[in-house]
Amino acid sequence: MDLASLSLAQVNYLLAVGVFVAALVVGFVIGRLNERVLSAAGVPDAVAGTSVERTARRFGTSIVGIVSQLSAWLFYVLGAVFALAIAGLVNVQALWYRVVGYLPAVVFAVGVLVFGVIVGDKAEVMISERLRGVKVPEIGVLPSAVKYSIVFVAALVALGQLGVATLPLVVAFGAYALAVIVLVAVAAKDLLASGAAGVYLLLNQPYGIGDRVRIGEMAGIVQEMDVFVTQIEDDETEYVVPNRLVFREGVVRER
Amino acid sequence: MAALTELLGDLVGDVDVLMLFSPSGSYYERAREAAEDVDLVVVATENAVGADGFVELPLSFADVSERIRFGIEGAIDNGYVEDGDALACVTTTFGEEADTLTRVRADAERHSGLYDLFVHSRADPSVIRDVLEVVIELGRKGQKGKPVGALFVVGDAGKVMNTSRPLSYNPFEKSHVHVGDPIVNVMLKEFSRLDGAFVISDSGKIVSAYRYLEASAEGVDIPKGLGTRHMAAASITRETNAVAVVLSESDGLVRAFKGGELVLELDPEAY
Repeated sequence: MDLASLSLAQVNYLLAVGVFVAALVVGFVIGRLNERVLSAAGVPDAVAGTSVERTARRFGTSIVGIVSQLSAWLFYVLGAVFALAIAGLVNVQALWYRVVGYLPAVVFAVGVLVFGVIVGDKAEVMISERLRGVKVPEIGVLPSAVKYSIVFVAALVALGQLGVATLPLVVAFGAYALAVIVLVAVAAKDLLASGAAGVYLLLNQPYGIGDRVRIGEMAGIVQEMDVFVTQIEDDETEYVVPNRLVFREGVVRER
Repeated sequence: MAALTELLGDLVGDVDVLMLFSPSGSYYERAREAAEDVDLVVVATENAVGADGFVELPLSFADVSERIRFGIEGAIDNGYVEDGDALACVTTTFGEEADTLTRVRADAERHSGLYDLFVHSRADPSVIRDVLEVVIELGRKGQKGKPVGALFVVGDAGKVMNTSRPLSYNPFEKSHVHVGDPIVNVMLKEFSRLDGAFVISDSGKIVSAYRYLEASAEGVDIPKGLGTRHMAAASITRETNAVAVVLSESDGLVRAFKGGELVLELDPEAY
């Protein structure tokens, strides 16, 4: 068959097939390349044991697999759209804007979400490791709080990428947080000050149970110390001293 | 049969208070309907039936008379029962269900040291209970199968620390573990091979291990045959407001001291 005898439509079909095949090849190569790069960058080790990875494993894949598949599929879909457009089967203008505008956003959103959850997990592990030396059993809340804050921010960014109006969400959350903070700060001012001082006292223990101390006017043997108060006792009197006073007045250790 | 019911009915004739020991929910409901003109007091480890008159048992006493005595003393202390009241006590001796009925007259003068130990000590009752549970378990299992001894001084920690000195570095320094924490049983078991006493604060915080108690044994009178560990326990409770719980290495019994006197002696195997 002579090349010149082909009609314009036929050329377009051929071109479309060519573009689609090229997209398949490029997508496959990019997918593989991504997998290699991610593996070489040590991602599998970094995410091992996180909840996302565990979930991925349950579905017979892994995070590296998902990310590389995602990048490959991006090219497949784009290739298909291009091919259809060249063949003149779809209205390019209508599809172009939506698909091309939206697809990377979806991929990016998923990426951000996965990244956020991984970072959250990692932060949780790291903080709980760091806090292991602090032998307060109740401190386990802190790592979880940090983790969910990070995941929350990641989810917000991801939703923002998808074009969901996150502003009300942020505003609502911010207002709530602010209200709580103001309320707590006003209502529990003394408690907070004592608590902050108490954390230092418990961590460093400048004095301990059994020490003879003087705090301002009050002197005696330390009987009990917790986050908010220190109880000291002499022969007749038992003082319950707020820890903020310990900081304001200073402690005298008597020998 | 009617004659038998009448004969045994005398037991509950004109009682002032009906005391139920660890009743099941349905039994409590039935008792409430049956005993309209009689006050009802529930004695149990927890108030599962939501009774108005409730006395908390810190331990599930194996000995029935001790259990009943503790319940009565608690009921008098809380004002549910007055001196001289006739009480009918329903409790369990052999099985899970109520199988024992006894009639007792309340006597406010009689004090078993046991109620006093739990309720009128400086330390929280729950802390004393937790310590007792740890010690009982330690006595039952021992350390790697071998019998161990242990001495816990509970409450008034500041004064106890000042009447004792460290034998070695304190493994609990700058830690914030409490006796009720789940990990602590294992930890205390491991540390129990160390010499010296454990010091526990009023709120249950483990202040120190490895303490050598320096309280003077002058005037302390404990049964002959008990060793130095018991002597140390008795003397520290005489000199401070603490109570002491001792696991004997030789006979495996758990004993509690308060005010220099032996107030509780129980066999860990029986629990």
